[in-house]
Amino acid sequence: MYRHEGEDVFVIDSHIHLWDASEENIVHEGGEQFIQCFYDYHTAFTPEEHQWDLETYRKYGSEKMVEDLFRDGYVDMGIFQPTYLTDFYEDGFNTTDQNAELATEYPERFILNGQFDPRDGEEGLEELERMKEEYGIQGVKLYTAEWRGDSKGWRLDSPEAFEYLEKCKELGITNIHPHKGPTIRPLNRDAFDVADVDDAATSFPELNFIVEHVGLPRLDDFCFIAAQEPNVYGGLAVAAPFAQNRPRKFGEIMGELLFWLGEDRVLFGSDYALWEPDWLVPTVMNAELTQEQRDEFGVALTTDVKKKIMGENAARLYDIDIEERKETLQNDAISERFDLGEGAVAD
Amino acid sequence: MSQSVSSGERAVLDRLDRVTDPELDRSIVELDYIDELRVDSSVFVQFKLPTAWCSPAFAWMMATDIREEVQEVSDVDRVTVKLVDHMHAAEITRGVNEERPFEAVFEDATEGVEAARAMLDSKARLARQYHAVNTLLDAGLEPTQIVALTRNDIAFDDAAERAAISVADGLTIYAPLAPLAEYVEKARETGVLSAPDERLFVTADGEPIAPEAFDRVHHRTRAAKTNMAGQGAVCDALHNARYGESE
Repeated sequence: MYRHEGEDVFVIDSHIHLWDASEENIVHEGGEQFIQCFYDYHTAFTPEEHQWDLETYRKYGSEKMVEDLFRDGYVDMGIFQPTYLTDFYEDGFNTTDQNAELATEYPERFILNGQFDPRDGEEGLEELERMKEEYGIQGVKLYTAEWRGDSKGWRLDSPEAFEYLEKCKELGITNIHPHKGPTIRPLNRDAFDVADVDDAATSFPELNFIVEHVGLPRLDDFCFIAAQEPNVYGGLAVAAPFAQNRPRKFGEIMGELLFWLGEDRVLFGSDYALWEPDWLVPTVMNAELTQEQRDEFGVALTTDVKKKIMGENAARLYDIDIEERKETLQNDAISERFDLGEGAVAD
Repeated sequence: MSQSVSSGERAVLDRLDRVTDPELDRSIVELDYIDELRVDSSVFVQFKLPTAWCSPAFAWMMATDIREEVQEVSDVDRVTVKLVDHMHAAEITRGVNEERPFEAVFEDATEGVEAARAMLDSKARLARQYHAVNTLLDAGLEPTQIVALTRNDIAFDDAAERAAISVADGLTIYAPLAPLAEYVEKARETGVLSAPDERLFVTADGEPIAPEAFDRVHHRTRAAKTNMAGQGAVCDALHNARYGESE
């Protein structure tokens, strides 16, 4: 729990990973390039005193993750967003089954999301059923630019993808998190275009589309689509660390998001381990719009708005009663272990 | 590239200054992408980008623009462009110097780079429109007057660094030159101002702006500006992480 100006802020980190990019796990040069690229993002936006060395970054393990999120990072709950990349990594970069180990150990703390890839055909649909049955997943993370043999990506508005979305609807997997982020090679340039979200969101009004990384560097396209589609949300992973070293730009991005989507459709995510919540949560909570930005966008980034962004919006999508959950978490294994119970709130 | 430059180098740098990072709409000289420059009868330009994973299409656009701009400098016989520290450095360097098309070099590319370039140019035009329209609002023009302006209504006075805008019979308003001149330049390049009596400002789709749609269109151009500035900040941070702070 984070305390801000005397108020409790329930933090749901909506974008976390437990990855393995160790050299032993890399089977394709893309795997090495991928982690190097992540590391550039890490060092570019992390305050120097909080930067990790590359070896730790490659594989930090579940113990460190639990400490970084819950003991040091003010996080109350975290949502696993798997990224398979099985063409690049022997056992995958971070898969649902791997994440499930921690999620099963601390079921009150983690939300486990699955994934699908329409190129997997019938087998993939069965896998989706298995993940629902075995783990009760409520969401999926989609990496539309993932390499698979000769294919360099897929589109969310393809008939094959629609078949999967139909399946999600049927199974009650309502939260669809497409990654639409920075243009990076070795992933395909076109596969991060946000245009395909538009048609999918219109065709599946009963599903929520949480566009991760708010489409950056296609924020304008994303906002325009989101303004028309009430079931489109924005995940702040990658945009959030701007609050640290580019606060003015962060203000502009938040201004756009609040202007086009409103305060109920933006979700905080640290993108752990790209960035750690221990410095990111306070930085975002302390961020303010300039007077000029408040006038320009006609919006305000108040404590109430921030509380929605930090947890309440995700709680709504994932059916979490925050007050009830607070009670449960007070005495759970994590609270006991790190002495986080009542009266021991870090701030 | 901060050492003193010869007149030959200056002429080449002036041309290179016209080459923009298409995603950021900023000069590659200003962005510190030029890594090495050698000028005699032939010119060698080496450049590097903020990450090795910059879209190869964007890298390709910059490489071809470098070649074409430098070729315009008088007394230059031959231009060699070299991209370094990029995962497709070798293919791009070879392909651009051999003047081959993008899709011939990248076999998995479904098309050339022109569609991507047109899309980025269009966004750059919108971002510039935002600044230009704000300049006119600051100068006291009303939205109804702004949407009615044509290219004929605006005149640039380079010496005085101002633009003169004819708003109505006999009424002229002055505004700072740069945002308006930069907008007109990009609008021309993107084909939305091909005739002098065409509307100065148009929607993202190139249509005239109805007065009641002014706010919405203006907000959309603002989003294009915010996006471009945001991506600029990402590239800048990655550039610094990779090569250290520039001077």
